[in-house]
Parts: sequence; structure tokens; C-alpha cells
Amino acid sequence: MRVGYGSFAVLEDVDLTVAGGEIVAVTGVNGAGKSTLLSCLAGLHRPAAGTVTVLGGPPRDDAAFWRAVALVADEPTWYPGLSLREHLELVRLTHEPVRGWCRPAGELIDVFGLAGRADAVPTDLSSGQRQRLSLAAALARPSRLLLLDEPEQSLDPGFRKELAGLLREYAGHGGTVIMATHDLDFAAAAGARPVLISEGRVATPGTAP
Amino acid sequence: MIAPAVAAGPPRVTAIRSFIRRRRRRPWYDWYSTGFAVVLAVILLWDLLAQPFGRLSGSGGADQAQAVAGAALVLGAAAGLLVLAQALGPLALSPADAAWLLLTPLDRRDVLRRPAAATAGIAVAAGGVLGVLALAMAGPFLRLPNGPGAHRVPSAWLLLSAVGGAGFFAAAMLAEVLAQPWPRWRFRLRAAGAAVGVGATVGAVAGERWDVVSRAITDGFARLEVGSFGLIAIVAVAAACTAALLVRRMLPHFPAGVMRAGSARAGTVLLAAAFLNVPLLTWIAEDSHWRGRWLHSRPWPRRLAFAPRLGPAFVLAWADWRRLGRRPAVLAALAVSALAPALAGAAFTGRAHGWVTAAVLLAGAMAAGTQGTTATRRDTNDPALRRLLGVDAEAALAARAVLPALLGTAWLAVALALLALTGELPGAQWPVLWPVLGLAAGPGVAAAALRVARTAPVNPADQGPDAAVTAPPWLLTRAGSVLLGVVAAWPTLRAVYAGHVHASTFGAQVAVSAVVLGGYLMLAVRSGY
Repeated sequence: MRVGYGSFAVLEDVDLTVAGGEIVAVTGVNGAGKSTLLSCLAGLHRPAAGTVTVLGGPPRDDAAFWRAVALVADEPTWYPGLSLREHLELVRLTHEPVRGWCRPAGELIDVFGLAGRADAVPTDLSSGQRQRLSLAAALARPSRLLLLDEPEQSLDPGFRKELAGLLREYAGHGGTVIMATHDLDFAAAAGARPVLISEGRVATPGTAP
Repeated sequence: MIAPAVAAGPPRVTAIRSFIRRRRRRPWYDWYSTGFAVVLAVILLWDLLAQPFGRLSGSGGADQAQAVAGAALVLGAAAGLLVLAQALGPLALSPADAAWLLLTPLDRRDVLRRPAAATAGIAVAAGGVLGVLALAMAGPFLRLPNGPGAHRVPSAWLLLSAVGGAGFFAAAMLAEVLAQPWPRWRFRLRAAGAAVGVGATVGAVAGERWDVVSRAITDGFARLEVGSFGLIAIVAVAAACTAALLVRRMLPHFPAGVMRAGSARAGTVLLAAAFLNVPLLTWIAEDSHWRGRWLHSRPWPRRLAFAPRLGPAFVLAWADWRRLGRRPAVLAALAVSALAPALAGAAFTGRAHGWVTAAVLLAGAMAAGTQGTTATRRDTNDPALRRLLGVDAEAALAARAVLPALLGTAWLAVALALLALTGELPGAQWPVLWPVLGLAAGPGVAAAALRVARTAPVNPADQGPDAAVTAPPWLLTRAGSVLLGVVAAWPTLRAVYAGHVHASTFGAQVAVSAVVLGGYLMLAVRSGY
């Protein structure tokens, strides 16, 4: 596919297939088009040419699609007066009836190391804690495809390893993860297939580490 | 380890919104800033509109040119509001709703119903006011059914005008919602709005200049009857209902990508507007303009013949000159906006409200100056570039003051010349003194524009433990910038308010401008603002 903004082409010729249950780490320099690729997969950006097929069809931007796809963008936003725990409750509420595998909100708060801050509002959290909340929200609901834009940003090295384990667990239950990342160690820890985007193309076909 | 989730009933957006509303805690300053803004807007609007609304009851009669300028200003305001609405969306969720409710299985129509209703409601209210205002402008020239001597406009005419204005404006706003996902249609509607604005301005100037034009238009007002108003109202309501039905059909398929981008922009813009954060607004506008554009490289100037000592400092300032050279539309818009004080004076305020004309002059001059401070705004708190070039902070600021001073000066001179030409500023022995006064006031106002640019574009939503600046001192710095502008242009503003100018006013303005700009350049680097 080919994707651009105005006259500027970000992705020239990208051809990529990801199997179900696979974890793929899209890497590349700043501005390579990693986030744009995720936007196209989520159906938020339409390619100028070519086709995108997600879970057997084009991204449809309807209830069934968003029941199956979870997106963690790089600029999360919050309800100013809602606590961390209430944000996770909200996620559950918006995805009822919840059918499929997902972790209960209380368990996610513990796993993500947020137990002491569960009743704080996001603006009182550090950027790393807010990033943990974003990721916890994505895992607090069932999905078949997880799209993560630089999930490792602001996270300490110790928690990156834990996150890698959580992603492996998610994939183990049949979920597919496609993430944009600069951290190849984190990608390797998650068992991800690296895909390098350079000059608008998939530079080298990745192999499992 | 991963637990199977429990099935429950289907989610309803109303229940989810209620969940959020019940738990959301709004700080006291949220209510305070909203209440303060509403009270201030009501006071200002009431004072501004009292005189034109007075024409509905026969008081405050107007001449033909004033009526034409007023009608043109109503049309221009409607077009401007529509263009502004397009910049904000017009359909937009709050950034939090866009992040937590949009990309979910919730029914898209339910999620978007409330913002769509809000958009329609605002359009109906604004359109109603514009409709009555248009009637008020035409008021003295209407042939009223009560017979000669009776000047009070009948309530039925008032109601039908309000309905007509509300209907047409709501239809136009909903048409913008329909066009929102399609860039080509957005462009066409924006172009149509700009064409209406330019047409209204040309009509106002022509009405001011040639009696035959103003007479033809006011004769048209005189031919209006209750039947005409009824027909206009019926057509407007039909147009609004059709647009509303089309929007209702479109909502379930409204693209999330478009809504998400619009909501992020609208949320930031509204937040910035609520805190009078002008630099953040212009920052967003700049980013939107340059995104996706290819620029041809140009060499930096090596040395300036007229100011060789400025050297590298002027190279630093050159970024703003180049940016402005690449945006001729901004210069054209500034030139056209210089008509605003004259039009506002002619149509709304008259001599009885000289302070409004003075305030518009100050705001316009500061806005014009701000167009020359983009680079200053971007790197004001990052001295790395300055150090890299080995430029002294004072020299850099002095070099950067040249362009805003020129822009503010030129804008004020043109605006004051137009005010004098249209007879809004009659009290000068030599009318040429008015634009000359603008030339003297511009450099002083540049200090205020620079100060606005040099205060950080803080996003109040980012206030938290790692935020560098908190809102209250930042709000004070903004008020300080406006105060600096008032002081810098005080002799001119006072002369405009009084409607009299003398040679001594010019001397005073030169002295005040020199003291304010010079003092600011000396103190600004040390104080950080």
C-alpha cells in the first residue's frame, strides 16, 4: 500500500502479512511511517493506493471491528476528574457484553504496579504511570488484535520485561500484536518478529529472533 | 491466568455518560473560568448590540450607509462564524470522549448525538441573534404595517427573522458537518464563506462610498413585508430540517479517524480559548498550515546592507520574515482586517462607543504584530539555537522586534486612515494626523506582541507534577501583555476615544512608544518575558 499526507508520501510500497497469534515489532527511524501504518490498520487513515485487510476484511470502523481491535495511541487523553480505577471500569462498561479473554480490572491494577495509585486522577500520575494505565486499559477488554504505538515509552526497564511477558501471554491466547517500537531488546523479549521500515518500504523481511 | 469475562447487557451511551458524570470531579477554577468568561461575554455583547437592537424600537436611527455597513457586517459575521466552526470541527467530541468512547463497540450515532445536538443548538442560537440583528440593521428603512410614524418593529417580524436566521445558519452549519469527512467539500464551503465575507466587505465599502448603492439596498429593505419574512422563515426551516435528517443518517457511519483528529484539535483550541492562550491557538494554526507541505530551500542572508552590526542576530530573526513571505494570504488577511474598526464603528458603535473602536484597534495591532513573532514563540525558552549562532539575547530580541513593529505600525496606520476616511474620526485639524499617529504607536504595540509570544504556550490540561508552569501566573502574564499594549498605545487610544487628535498627541505617542519598546527590550531578557 501507499500512504501519504498531502503531497508527502510516508509509506511508498509496504507489503506485510501478519499471522494470527503473532507479535510483530515495526521499527524504523523517526518519521519512517510506523504510526501511520498502525493508523491504516485501525482504519483511521485511508491509504492512497493498495489494500489493508484486518481479521479477514477491510477495517470497517464499526462495532464489530472495535470489539476485536484495541489501539493504544502515542498521545493518550484522560477524563480530568476520573480516577485510574474508574478509567478501567469505563473500559469494561463500553465493551459489554464482555465475551472473550481479558483480565479483571483489579488484577490489572496489581500487575501494572498501580495499586497504590488506583484512586488518583491521571494528571497526578507520572508519565510512566499514565503509560501503564493506557496499556492496562487495552488489556482490560477482550480483543483479537492489539495495535500499540511505542508501548515502551516512559516505562522503566524492569517493567518493560513484564510488559513483554504480558504480550506473550496475550498472543498465547490467540491474540495478535502489532507494535511500533524503537526498543529492539523489548521486541526480542516479547518474541516479536521485527519489521524494519525504511524510506517508505519494508526494508528486510524479519525473522523470529 | 486470564479470566473469562462475564457477559452483561448491551452498553448504552447514556448510561456510560451518566457513569462519567457521577464520578467526575471538576475543580472550582473550572467553574470560575467558565462563569467568568460567560459573564464577560454577555456584558460585552450586550453593550455592543444594545445600540443596533435599539433600532428595532425606533430609537438610534441610522443613515443609509450605516444600515448597509451593518447588514454587511452581519453577513460577514455569519460567514466568519462558519469558517471558525469548520476550523473547530464543526462536529467534535471532547478529547477524552474521542479516546475512550469513539474506538469502542458503542453505537456511533449514540456517541455523536450529543455533540451533533450541541452543534445544532449553538447554530440555532447564533443564527437567531444574527437574524434579529439583520432586521435591526434594516429597521429604520422597513415599511412597517403600523403606518407612518410608527417605528416599533412588530413582534411577528422579530420572530420570523429569528426563525429565518436560525434556520439558515443551522442549515449551513449542518452542511459543514456533512462535508466534514470530505476535504474537497470542506475546501469548497470554506471558499464560499470567504467569498461571502469578501462580498459583504465590498458591499459595505461601496455603500459607504456611493449613495446609489446604499439607496438601492435600503429600498430593498423597504419592499419587505410580513409575507416575505414568512416565506424566508419557511424556506430556512425546511433547509435546516433537511440538513438535520441527512446528518442523522450520516452519524452511524461518521469516520472515526476524522472525528478523532477534529476532536483533538477542537479540544486544544477550546481549552486554549478558555484560558485566553493566544500563542497556543496560533501554534496549532501554524502546525496545521505547514503539515504535509514541501518547502523549497532558500539561503540565509549573509549580511544586511542597512544593518551590518545586527549580523547573526538578524539571521535569527530572518526566520519570521521568510515565513511571512511564504504566506501571502496572511498579509492579505491582515490588510482586509484593517477595515474591521471602520466597519464596526460605522455599523455598531458610532461615536457613543469610541472605546470599542479603540479596543478593536489595539487587538488588531497586537494580532498583526503577533504574525511576525512565530519563531520567537517557538524557541523563546530554548536558548540552544541562540548559543549555537553565538547571538547575544538582547541583540536577538531587538532584531526580532523589527518585523512585529513594522506589521503593527502598517496595520494601525491603514486602520486609522480608513476610520478617518469614513468619517468615524472627524476631530482632526489635519486628518492625515490619524494614520501618522498609527505610525508612531505601532513600535510600542510591538512590545506587547513580543511579550505575548514570549510567554510559554502552556496547555492547562498538562498541569501535573511534572508541569513547569502553573495556570495562575501564566494568566497574569497574559493580562500583563494586554496592559503593556494599552500603555504603549495610550495617547492614540485616548485620541480615538475622544475623537480628537492634535500635533501634541503625535509627540506624546512617539515618546511613549520609544520608552515602552526600549524599556521592554532592556528588561525582557532579564525578566524572562
